[in-house]
Amino acid sequence: MLEREVTVINKLGLHARASSKLVQLLSTFRANAFLLGRGREVNAKSIMGVMLLAAAQGSTLTLRIDGEDEVAAMEAAVALFERYFDEGS
Amino acid sequence: MNEAHASVGVLLISHVGIASAIQSVATRMLGPLPLQHEILEVAFDADLDQLSRQVDQLLRRLDRGSGVLILTDLYGASPSNLAERFDRGRVHTRRVSGLNLSMFMRVMNYAEQSLDELVNTAVLGARGGVVIGRA
Repeated sequence: MLEREVTVINKLGLHARASSKLVQLLSTFRANAFLLGRGREVNAKSIMGVMLLAAAQGSTLTLRIDGEDEVAAMEAAVALFERYFDEGS
Repeated sequence: MNEAHASVGVLLISHVGIASAIQSVATRMLGPLPLQHEILEVAFDADLDQLSRQVDQLLRRLDRGSGVLILTDLYGASPSNLAERFDRGRVHTRRVSGLNLSMFMRVMNYAEQSLDELVNTAVLGARGGVVIGRA
C-alpha cells in the first residue's frame, strides 16, 4: 500500500472534469485507490465520490493506492495533479 | 462485477429539455460515454401510444442481451408511465425515476455492471448527489 500527499493546484479544483480525468486514469489500473480529505475517505475510482470532496485549489489530500500496480498508478495520478489536470493553470 | 455479460443499454425518458441537457453536460464532463444510450423526450401533448412504438424500437436497438436500464425524470408522470408499459415486454428492462446529473454520471462510471447492479448504482448516485451545504 502506498500513500502520498497531493495538493490540488489547478485553479478550478477537483471539479467535474478534473475528477473525471482522475477517475478514468485510475480505473485503468487494477489497484484500489482512495482519496482522503477533511476526515472523509472516498473511492478515487468513483466520480461522485471524488466530487464529494469538493476540493478547491490549495486543498491537500492523501492518495492511498493498494494493489499490484500501485507504483505505476500512484506515479500517473500524482503526475495528473502536478500538470494541473491538463487545464493549463 | 461480471465481465461475461454484454453491456447494458440506457434509455433516458423525460419531459422536454431534461434528458438531452443531462446527456450533453455529462458528455462534456466525461468524454465519450461508455454505455449505449438513447433519449426520448415527451411533450405535454404527446400521444403515448405513438411514443410506445418509438420506445419499443429504441429498446430493441439498445438491448444486446443484457437488458436496458430506463431512467425517467419524475415518478408518476407520463415519461415514467410510458416506461412502465415495458415492465414485462420483450426486452428486459428495469426503471429508476428521479433522473438527475449525478445519477447519470454514476451509471456511466460503472459501465461494467449488470442491469440489476446498475439499478442500485443509479439510485445511490442520485441520492448521493443531494448534499446540504458543504459535504
